[in-house]
Amino acid sequence: MNSIVILNSLILIGIIISAILTVKFDNLLSSIIALGITGAFVALEFILLHAPDVAIAEAAVGAVLSPVIFIITLKKVKEGKER
Amino acid sequence: MIEFVYVGIFYAILAIILLFRVLKGPSVVDRAVAGDSIDILTAVALISFAVFSNRSIYLDIALVIAILGFIGTVLIARYLEGRL
Repeated sequence: MNSIVILNSLILIGIIISAILTVKFDNLLSSIIALGITGAFVALEFILLHAPDVAIAEAAVGAVLSPVIFIITLKKVKEGKER
Repeated sequence: MIEFVYVGIFYAILAIILLFRVLKGPSVVDRAVAGDSIDILTAVALISFAVFSNRSIYLDIALVIAILGFIGTVLIARYLEGRL
């Protein structure tokens, strides 16, 4: 049980670091990449809390669908022209 | 069967090390490659936890993360190329 606690702590550290990086980047495309990383860590944390259906929905929506929608939005706004 | 949790802890540590490449990448391409690697390592840690808990529905989430993370990386590359 102690190993499960250590794994939970590591995943929570990853969620916190990637969420802080999401807010503090200046380039918008880098912020979108950090958002996708945050979704992947949150899906793993839902698995560790024994909720598989919520984790499937999170991995489909939070890790892929939201960054794709934000990339299409960034293309239409034409803000990330500096690359 | 607790050794698979140790393997999961190892891959979680590797994913947290890759977050510093996301922090200090000189360009966006480095961050995109690090994000794809973090998706793959997350899927591997999840497979290890599925073997630990003797429950086969956890493998489906690993499949979803592996396939759809690849699709997200392809769309980031297509955006950087300019042909989205």
